[in-house]
Amino acid sequence: MPAGAVRQARKAGTTGRPLWLMAPGGLLIALVILVPAVLALWMSLLQLDQYSLRTWLSAPFVGLGNYVEAFVGSRLLHSVWVSVAFGVLTTLLTLPIGVAAALAAHNAFRGRALVRSVFLIPYVLPSFVTATIWRTLLQPSGAVNESLSWFGIDGGLWLIGDRSFWTLVLVDTWAAWPFIYLLALAGLQVIDREAHEAAALDGASWSQKLRYVVLPYLRGPLALAVIIATLSHINNFTLPYVLFGSPAPRPVEVLPMLTYTTSFQTVRFGLGSAMAILSVVLIAIPLFIYLRAVRLDTGNRAGER
Amino acid sequence: MAATRRATTWAAIAAAAALALAGCGGGGGSGGSGSGAGNGGGSTGPINVLVGASAQYPEQQKEWFTHIKDVFKQRTGADVNFETFASAADEQTRIQTAVVSGEGPDVYSLGTTFTPVAYSTGAFTKLGPAEWTAVGGKDRFTPATLAMSGPNDTDQVGVPFLSRPFVMAYNKALFQQAGLSGPPTTWDQLVEYGKKLTKDGVHGVAVGYADNYDPWKFVWMYANQYGNPLIDGKQVRLDDPTVVRAYQEYFGLLTEDKIVNPEAVGWSNPQALASFAAGKSAMMLMTTPTSIPTLDASPIADQYVYAPMPAVPPGEAALPAGGRPATTIVSGDNIAVADYSRNKDLAFKFVELVTSEAEQAHYTSVFGDLPANAAAATTIINSNAKLAPIIEAGKGAVATPFTGAWSEVQLALTNVAVQSRPELAAGAVPQGAIAGRLAEAQQAAQQALDRAGQ
Repeated sequence: MPAGAVRQARKAGTTGRPLWLMAPGGLLIALVILVPAVLALWMSLLQLDQYSLRTWLSAPFVGLGNYVEAFVGSRLLHSVWVSVAFGVLTTLLTLPIGVAAALAAHNAFRGRALVRSVFLIPYVLPSFVTATIWRTLLQPSGAVNESLSWFGIDGGLWLIGDRSFWTLVLVDTWAAWPFIYLLALAGLQVIDREAHEAAALDGASWSQKLRYVVLPYLRGPLALAVIIATLSHINNFTLPYVLFGSPAPRPVEVLPMLTYTTSFQTVRFGLGSAMAILSVVLIAIPLFIYLRAVRLDTGNRAGER
Repeated sequence: MAATRRATTWAAIAAAAALALAGCGGGGGSGGSGSGAGNGGGSTGPINVLVGASAQYPEQQKEWFTHIKDVFKQRTGADVNFETFASAADEQTRIQTAVVSGEGPDVYSLGTTFTPVAYSTGAFTKLGPAEWTAVGGKDRFTPATLAMSGPNDTDQVGVPFLSRPFVMAYNKALFQQAGLSGPPTTWDQLVEYGKKLTKDGVHGVAVGYADNYDPWKFVWMYANQYGNPLIDGKQVRLDDPTVVRAYQEYFGLLTEDKIVNPEAVGWSNPQALASFAAGKSAMMLMTTPTSIPTLDASPIADQYVYAPMPAVPPGEAALPAGGRPATTIVSGDNIAVADYSRNKDLAFKFVELVTSEAEQAHYTSVFGDLPANAAAATTIINSNAKLAPIIEAGKGAVATPFTGAWSEVQLALTNVAVQSRPELAAGAVPQGAIAGRLAEAQQAAQQALDRAGQ
């Protein structure tokens, strides 16, 4: 389709639409998202702490002072690094598990419904419960070390020191892989039966079918799953908070923990808001790249396929 | 509790929403029904009271609420509505939201170490002579409990409500087996006792190294006994040799003296208490009357005795010059009336009621927390041998510095312990590592104190 025609089609599509029907939704978005976001932005420019909280409208304006302090005088950069490493690693670990589980649960077999339900348990458990359970299991003389000792392995300490980072990654992997599984399963459902039949007629082996039929179909849903999963790992507060408490050990001082401690334990809302704004920026970067990559324009994509 | 998934986000949104409301001028007002405008200032309530939810005694707490409601209704004709918060973090958020919006409960129960932060917001009613008279006068309270009411004798916001001093508990039976007759009186003696008691799978003392609060209390205690109050006027003194020594002694119980179970590196206070309750540790350090329900339900129910912790610091034969015999912070709850309250008269009548001798005695009998009311405390000393040592410890309680920067000092001290735990688990925390972490803590705490002074 020539570019001009596309533009024409779009133009024809947008004119005459009753856009005002979006007003209630727009209003809600403004109230629920925009107003707090603008307030957070404003707070990040104030020296807002316990001394100025009550008269926050006249709290001293410090411009970018909080941002400077976040970068220079706080552990923000360390936290960004921990958060990104944690988010990416967890996603990389959950990806093969989720896809494998989806492939296993896709075809009909006896007891499939049960298996599918069981797969979802880690995902539907509230994060708080997951963290509490694991915190108990990973105690020095908890169930994990108890089991390891049967094999003569000394489990050691899971919740402190450098190993706490890997504990966080593993526990979140345990809790989050069903999300990848769900989206992969949804992706598998849309593969045309004909594609499978055609592949079978061509005499494709199992691995060839996976490589040339299944995975290409999964690429779209999985890309979405990966981006959402990574962002939600980076945003995860409950898991590290309940597992390690506050103040957190340095190796698991993720960005949400640092923001929480700054805002609510040392009552520095201005600095905390600046950190929150910076996390939004951090999260917006991959999101932006993704949105650019898929160009949420289904009309175009259908044409490309 | 999916809601906690993004607790920060929600809390931030809640705070922002509150800001938005405040920005609208706080119009309408959710104040009591039929506010007593033409009533000679006497309003008719109801008053709203925010207190901590009792995890140990939820049923009894409900009964206590009903009891207080009834008595208050009888006396004043007004209603009391109780609201509860689940945790210290929850409490902070509630107070911060109320402070910003100027709307919320009339009466707050505030932890003593949180009172300075609450005071610095300026959102609570200052207690002048008239207010003190309204709640029955300062004389009705044990003097030590008044230390966390405000920064000095005239600027006060918190009326003492409950006392929860820190003490140690020891196992009588294990002490007898080791030929020990009474609690240790110096820290060196405690270590010596601990070594005698450590045998056959039993350890001398139980310590919760991974607790979110205990570590700073130990360090504060040792530092004070060595003569360092941590905050000296406008100067924070965390980078002082006494503080390094305090940490070394605290960690040394495990690494040098070996009288603590190595697993204590991962213990919070309840887990340390569980070890003591199971008879696996002969002494439990840094505990409060809230341990009574656990201990009474344990195999050692008849064997535990409370005692004040030693007031002579480790490595010293007597309290050093300038040292303070601090064994417990002024711990417990204050009760404060919000400055925005439209029902202050009633609110102070409520405070008067719950701090009265009869109600304080009743409260202790229900919940185990000790009275701040002096007369009720005296009754307990004379009638309850188990609680008497705790009340004695409470009388000698030393106040933590009353500054809005305290929460940051406390956090910085805890953080040093948290970051040292890997080395503690490995068997030795190098002095240099402690000093390095303290330098960082000093900087953060000093900055916080500087802001407080502005």
